[in-house]
Amino acid sequence: MSTALTSALALGWRNIWRNRRRTVISMSAIGVGLVLVIFYSGLVGGMAQDAKNQLDSAGIGHVEIFARGFRDKRDVAVAMEDASGWREKLRLPPGAQVGARVLARGLATSARGNEPVSVLGVEWDNEPKLSAHLQHISAGALPAPDDVHGVLIGEQLAERLALQVGAKLRLMVQRADAEMGADLFRVRGVFHSISPAIAQRQVYVSKAAARELLGLSEASHQLVVQIDDPDAADALAKELNTALGARFEALSWGELLPVLKRLEAYTGSITLALATFVYFLVGLGILNTMLMSVLERTREFGVLMALGTRPSRVLHLVLAESFWIATLSAAGGALTGGLLAWYFSHAGINFVPGTESYQFEGATISSLIKTRFSPAEIARATAFVYVMTLIVGLYPASRITRLLPAEALRKT
Amino acid sequence: MPVIEVDNVTRVYAEKGQTPSHALRGVTLAVERGEFMAFAGPSGSGKTTLLNLIGGLDAPSSGEVRVDGVALSGLSRKALADLRRDRIGFVFQSYNLVPVLTAAENAGYVLELKGVSAKERRDKVKAIFERMGLSPFLDSRPLKMSGGQQQRVAVARAIVSQPAVVLADEPTANLDQATGAALMDLMRELNRERGITFIFSSHDPMVLERADRLVRLVDGLVVTDEKRAR
Repeated sequence: MSTALTSALALGWRNIWRNRRRTVISMSAIGVGLVLVIFYSGLVGGMAQDAKNQLDSAGIGHVEIFARGFRDKRDVAVAMEDASGWREKLRLPPGAQVGARVLARGLATSARGNEPVSVLGVEWDNEPKLSAHLQHISAGALPAPDDVHGVLIGEQLAERLALQVGAKLRLMVQRADAEMGADLFRVRGVFHSISPAIAQRQVYVSKAAARELLGLSEASHQLVVQIDDPDAADALAKELNTALGARFEALSWGELLPVLKRLEAYTGSITLALATFVYFLVGLGILNTMLMSVLERTREFGVLMALGTRPSRVLHLVLAESFWIATLSAAGGALTGGLLAWYFSHAGINFVPGTESYQFEGATISSLIKTRFSPAEIARATAFVYVMTLIVGLYPASRITRLLPAEALRKT
Repeated sequence: MPVIEVDNVTRVYAEKGQTPSHALRGVTLAVERGEFMAFAGPSGSGKTTLLNLIGGLDAPSSGEVRVDGVALSGLSRKALADLRRDRIGFVFQSYNLVPVLTAAENAGYVLELKGVSAKERRDKVKAIFERMGLSPFLDSRPLKMSGGQQQRVAVARAIVSQPAVVLADEPTANLDQATGAALMDLMRELNRERGITFIFSSHDPMVLERADRLVRLVDGLVVTDEKRAR
């Protein structure tokens, strides 16, 4: 580092403490602004992430493949033959999870009464990888892989039908041949889901039992693909559509649940608006402080210029003060904001005490929001505040360097 | 060759919407190396303006100022700053030391601008401070010093880099009579010891009577220019 730069930094350091209270207030304003942006973007990012996580919780695939026409009328006869063999045919990214499901709508009946339900015929050993709520069995257990007549139900359905583990449950559906199909199952387990719709409506049976119930052979209705990066789902769906041809349709989660895409855009816009607002206020605060600090010392800068200080060095002197204010406040803000974001990414914040989830435009969002701790986002916000502080410092510096030394010396 | 040449210089301040004010109306004079001279005149006579123009702190409306033969009008702001750093020392009425710097750092500031090492700066400042009776104040902050002490530090700052000329704008205005006289005597000694040219502006009789040459200004014009034998 050059002597001139070291000297400017040393002088800048002393100058910022000339008015200790003003400097501390300014740095606090910058730091608090940065904390706000970091924490709020972490919070909103956490909400968006939570909404995406509900894909797993709800058993919705990042990409889902159907026989074309099935989704229009939920006609169980429109099925994909030999879906299980497709896993090998699809070129999926590493780490992808795939599962085939048989789907039906029907009626669940117990001694207490009956409830309309969605029946999902699944592979017992594979489905918990696709539906996160099946990892939360609150009573009983996941049926064994070869358990054909076992059934998993949600807590709310169990309560409405007064069912306990071991109880009998009758499922009735419309078969592929339009006749009615029914069978008797035994409750093996009760799962917990934060989504009331899932806990009340979804019933999991073995794929074999679902096929038998519907009168299907080897067919499945839905191929679910879960990938590590949900943001890559649109591209994957497009690729799969090209590869599979017109008889099938591959849909990304954004197409299956457009509300989540809207939510993502919405939260992004809110964060941007807040960040812009906060940055604007912080920028004005710094500008005010720097202008006051520099302009009240115009005469002193005039003296320095009279002694032979070049305009560029005067600029450096002022920027050195901005540098220290920016460095201290950005470091403090980033550290505090980062710690808060990190802490609440573990502890979470319960926004709706007493409930586990709430509905937002049809999406189920957990009441306990965990902030997203993203070092990259923190670094980006910090860099923005840092650069902005330095840039704002240019204005008072340029005001000074434009003056002739005699003009500066005349200022009181 | 004169160290300072002022050639038919005018300075008009034209504020927007106000009648132009003529601070200098065609001043011509030359200052020889080693002179100890003063500009005298009432307030508004143009003394400070003339010092500012000689020091390259301001630009004349017309005419030319030359320092050591260098015409200031042809210099960029950077070159003017370098010229002030290398050839001109300033002493201001209200000391104008930088409060966050110690007395030694203030005095060594110009040397720092010239790229002199910290050790050499300290040695030079120490020597000057000893000469000026400021040794106990090397590491004192200006605000902890009396007006007279601060003004002596300002003089040390002006002469430490051996400039050709020291311009002092009413250097005793904020000092009591005894302190002012002591300061003037000190500058006189430095003038004789080091051959530095001193140019003052003042209306303090104590300052004026010590000058070897007295240039009187009235309304931006030189009315008398008298040299005194010492």
